Amino acid sequence: MSSKTKPDKTTIGLLALIVTQSACSVFFLSDAVADIIADGMAALNDVHLHVEMVATLSLIVAVILEGRFLVRLLRRNAHAERGLSIASGALHDLMEQYFHEWGLTPSEADVATFAIKGLDIAEIAEVRGTAEGTVKAHLNAIYRKSGTSGRGALLGLLVDDLLAQPLIERKEPPKDVPKASGLA
Amino acid sequence: MKNVKVWDPLIRIFHWSLVICFISNALITDPESQLHRQIGYVVVGLVAFRIIWGFVGSRHARFRDFPPSISGSVGQLSDMATGRKRIHVGHTPLGALMIYNLIVTLIGIAITGYIMTTLRFWGIEWVKELHEICVTWAEFSVVAHIAAVVWESRRTGVNLPKAMVTGSKTLPTEV
Repeated sequence: MSSKTKPDKTTIGLLALIVTQSACSVFFLSDAVADIIADGMAALNDVHLHVEMVATLSLIVAVILEGRFLVRLLRRNAHAERGLSIASGALHDLMEQYFHEWGLTPSEADVATFAIKGLDIAEIAEVRGTAEGTVKAHLNAIYRKSGTSGRGALLGLLVDDLLAQPLIERKEPPKDVPKASGLA
Repeated sequence: MKNVKVWDPLIRIFHWSLVICFISNALITDPESQLHRQIGYVVVGLVAFRIIWGFVGSRHARFRDFPPSISGSVGQLSDMATGRKRIHVGHTPLGALMIYNLIVTLIGIAITGYIMTTLRFWGIEWVKELHEICVTWAEFSVVAHIAAVVWESRRTGVNLPKAMVTGSKTLPTEV
């Protein structure tokens, strides 16, 4: 299971950054709030405080963006580390883009990835630690949202997309995918 | 659904006593008052008990049951990101980090609070400053702790606040 594999350095580094910056945000924000409480209305005219607040808010926004990036990283690793070899990140990005367009929940996206990789319902249930009934419900939602009739059609959609364009041009979309659905 | 005994009575009494003491000293009592200090000593006693109980207590109360683990924490974050539900009977890996964080922060508050009352450090600015920083961090941690408990209860379908009252977690049988 994912909890038994060693997390990679990027994940740990990103986590450390998020924790550190969160702690700094707490410190700066509490400091600014204390100033506002101490000075009351006069604080509103304090330019220094304004600058402080903008800096603090920027830091908080950075933490949020890092958090979203971490979620994407964790999802990708969760699928790659199972030895299922999602292989190229390009295919994974393409799938993620579809899942995003269809409005799949994180659970549904996880199930869809495994379904595309060819795991059967019992195997998916085992990997995810849920009941088979739950996986079936997720699959139904996936087929409904994607407008496909089943696993074959779902896979066909991806294959179609991969074959539709010449391989050389195929290099373009994956580059844009992380930006489009990730940090936007 | 099945019920599993997780938290022994002493752990629960410890938890809710700490809640009362923390709220009292963070929000209600006058920091200069005798009462604030006395409650501080009670907190020291509670934390000391918790540390001892971490070695000799019931199964899920022991530190051995929830060692700080980065890989476990990343695993739990991955479960959240992918919507997987892995049920932890005792503390979750991230929950464990919060426990250690709170214990260390409370010790920091107690030490800085105590030395403020000693002749040697009385009136010295950095001690007071450090005490307040620790308190702010503890308050943030408590808010994060509550938010995480609510989030995890909803995500996993296990009512965690109830477990800290009754001592039992109601786990889905299918997992």
